[in-house]
Amino acid sequence: MAFTLAACGAQEVDESSIVIWHDKEDAVAEVLQSYLDEALPELDITLEKKTSLTDSLKLVGNDPSSAPDMFIFAHDKIGVFAEMGILASIEELLPEGELSNYLDMTTEAATYKGTVYQLPLYFETLLFMYNRKYMTDDMVPDTTEELYDYMEANTGRDRYGFVEQHSTAYYSAAWIHGFGGEIISADGVPFPEPDAVKDALRYHLKFVQLMPGETEYSTVNTLFLEGKADSTIGGPWMVPSAREAGIDLGIAPMPVVDETGEPLAPYSGVQGVHVLTFAAENKGDSVGAVLSALCSPEIGNQLALASGCAPARAECYDEEAVASDELVQAMRSTAEIAVPMPNIPEMDVMWTVMSNLLTDVNLSGRDVDESFDEAMGEAESLIANMK
Amino acid sequence: MKKRTRERLGLAVLNIFFIILCFVTLIPILYALSVSFSGTNSLLSSDFSFIPKSFTLANYAEVFTGEDIMTWFGNSILLAAATVFISLAVSVPAAYCFSRRSFPGRRLVLRWLVLLNSFPAILSMFAVYRLLQPVGLVNHRLGLIIVYTGTMAVFSLWNMKGYFDTIPLDIEEAARMDGATDLQVVTRIVMPLAKPSVIVTALMVLIYVWNEYIYATTFMTGEANYTLAAGLYALQATEMSGSWPVFAAASIVVSLPVLIIFFLCQKHMTSGLTAGGVKG
Amino acid sequence: MTMKKQIKNVLMSYLVSGPSLLLIALIVVFPIIYTFFISLTNMSVYHWFDFTIIGLENYWRALFVFDSGFLSALLATVLWTAVNMVIQLVIAFILASLLNVKKLRLRKLYKTLLMFPWAMPGYVSILLWKTGVFNSEFGLLNQLMEALGQQTMRWLSTNVSAFICCTVVNLWLALPFMIMIMDGALQSIDASYYESALLAGASWLARTRYITIPSIKPIIAPAVIITVFTTFKQFDVVYLLTQQMGARTGSDFHTILTYAYENAFVTNNYGYSSAISIIIFLLMLAFSARFKLAGEETL
Repeated sequence: MAFTLAACGAQEVDESSIVIWHDKEDAVAEVLQSYLDEALPELDITLEKKTSLTDSLKLVGNDPSSAPDMFIFAHDKIGVFAEMGILASIEELLPEGELSNYLDMTTEAATYKGTVYQLPLYFETLLFMYNRKYMTDDMVPDTTEELYDYMEANTGRDRYGFVEQHSTAYYSAAWIHGFGGEIISADGVPFPEPDAVKDALRYHLKFVQLMPGETEYSTVNTLFLEGKADSTIGGPWMVPSAREAGIDLGIAPMPVVDETGEPLAPYSGVQGVHVLTFAAENKGDSVGAVLSALCSPEIGNQLALASGCAPARAECYDEEAVASDELVQAMRSTAEIAVPMPNIPEMDVMWTVMSNLLTDVNLSGRDVDESFDEAMGEAESLIANMK
Repeated sequence: MKKRTRERLGLAVLNIFFIILCFVTLIPILYALSVSFSGTNSLLSSDFSFIPKSFTLANYAEVFTGEDIMTWFGNSILLAAATVFISLAVSVPAAYCFSRRSFPGRRLVLRWLVLLNSFPAILSMFAVYRLLQPVGLVNHRLGLIIVYTGTMAVFSLWNMKGYFDTIPLDIEEAARMDGATDLQVVTRIVMPLAKPSVIVTALMVLIYVWNEYIYATTFMTGEANYTLAAGLYALQATEMSGSWPVFAAASIVVSLPVLIIFFLCQKHMTSGLTAGGVKG
Repeated sequence: MTMKKQIKNVLMSYLVSGPSLLLIALIVVFPIIYTFFISLTNMSVYHWFDFTIIGLENYWRALFVFDSGFLSALLATVLWTAVNMVIQLVIAFILASLLNVKKLRLRKLYKTLLMFPWAMPGYVSILLWKTGVFNSEFGLLNQLMEALGQQTMRWLSTNVSAFICCTVVNLWLALPFMIMIMDGALQSIDASYYESALLAGASWLARTRYITIPSIKPIIAPAVIITVFTTFKQFDVVYLLTQQMGARTGSDFHTILTYAYENAFVTNNYGYSSAISIIIFLLMLAFSARFKLAGEETL
């Protein structure tokens, strides 16, 4: 009787077929696909590239007919999807204690309200990069004031000492953290240290004045790649194109803010695999097998080298190829100071609030206090309106 | 004699005017064209010129080999053809009916159609998903065709109805006097006269489908199911790793079929009303 | 006509237009009804599966969004629609008339080239304008300014210049369609009208006013009305040029839709966002009731 009832259910679950959505570059997807095909030949695993992945997930939820079984994305949307009720805890799907082999920062990032919702694969942070043609190794600024002096001395017509996406929330976070502030606290309070944020904005403003009036990626990227900017703060994704453009690329630790003695601490993003609840309930074995396969340090290394990002698994760093990679090493040491992006749902609206605040202060030249109060009000009302 | 010189001069001025206008209009496209032929991987350059310094066809080669452009192209053609066909098949009779017949509810329907069409559709995606999901049409081409046809249906109906209204009734009545049936009147008399409007409508639907990417990227999964516009969108959405010259080349490639179709359609867009020499 | 025949006539009419109306009902009308339904619920990220009907609460909350920011966005949108429509109609009319000058041999070529902006997906064109033309570091405009020895500008950074830039791009995107519609309409005018008018010695202005415009009005009306609404609810041009996340330019020019997006839709609170959509929709309905639709006599 129970059997017939189950058979009459609308969905027949094919346990051996696993669909994984991702929005990664082809190199990463290929590494994953071939590794999984080899490791789990009995499963039919498909990696499907999905543009606007998060918007699509907000639409399909975990409806088995249109949603994937798993997806690969940065950890910052975990809160949203966990609250929606479509994410499964991965701890139960993994062998006991498996997660202890991961860097603490990555598992912390993957945890929302005490539950781990993501198996970390690799992580990325922003890095201080410079063009050795103009900024030699001994000229690399240790502090922000040194950076400012360098900018003043080297910014003129058609050339910039330093560029970054200055009015973008993701980039400005490094400055705010350097002053001991936060965009949002772990329990969802916007700008818990108002004065730190205001100080950071005020201080940062003089740097902005020596940077181009555009804040988007392509301008900053092009300036650096064309050798028109001596240094920049950028992600690992810039590295391949910089090498291609023949730039003698140097990577240095983040400068320290003179006033606070703290380094600019960028956000870090942990990329990893998430499991949807429907798949966890109905295809538990297959999903578990995929997760276990992805725990292997071997795939961690391959992925890290393919993406230029740092592996999330600690023992990957024992591997010679990984350990000797300058980029990976730089990311790993930046990870010591980096702050994982908040993964609470409230952060979703803070991106908008923060970018409005930065636009007002940096691009429209409005008063810091006044703009901050406005942003605070906006943050509070948007967060209230989420519920 | 004098009049002729003046006429020639006028034509010359007009031609110069249009040449300049076309150039100015095409500046952003020439820009894309130049980027697409250039060897450096940037959409931006501080020393830009319309004639690229290092000329290369490599980006076009990559468009046709590297990406799944041909698959996307096929998907786009299939979707566009099906949508145009269904759109016309349902809208022509409806438009004719709303133009020629009087029946209760006609005015009301017409007026409300255009008003309802003004609904800001940012959130419609959700509703459309709820509509297609139970019948299994998400991630299915037929689903997209229905969405596209429905979206363009109000325009199609209104646009052709407006044109049908200008075709004098006398012509139809004359044909009926000669013993033509209703169907014959429509296919033999009205349709040829309304050809320009039908073609404009078809073009409009075609271009909408060709350029639509939001539904295409949200509802279709997997690169093999993308349309050209969706694939192109995916190319630039990953700007971190994307290649601008390839993107520029792809956007030129996407536009060309539409332009060719437009060029070929032009001679049919002249009104049958004047060409037929029918007096109202 | 007998009663029976009349009923048959009505049935026939609806049968013939049925498929079209059904599609409209599904894709245009259903989303409105559904959005209205959601607007009565508390559906959000926190109540994604287990949402319940909470009545008009969302509407009450939505009223707080209609602050001064919303009002100025509304005014800007009305101005935006008016400016765009007027310029668009005038330019399209002039160009279509010029394209119809009898001996213009290259007309097909010109028309095809002028259609180019329409043949590209909108986001591609907007991206080209933004990075290729308006970018303050590399854009063509600033390269031109430099060549002319002028100060370079951040074109999208102030409200007024952003409004102008958005208008230029919107016109660029919308004109091909309008020219095509006008062109088709102009060609449908019976040449004999002009002949008799010319015989009667009517000036170009008089011919335009008494023959051309009245003749094309019913033909272009549907397209014009639909364009008015599209312009009113324009989102892409303004958002992608000036407001896009990670690429803000500093201007504060909002249409009601970009304003609603930033102040409501980003919250992922579907009930609340739906209520705002419905209110904007009602506003649009009120506007169109206030200003009698230009093409209504053609109904």
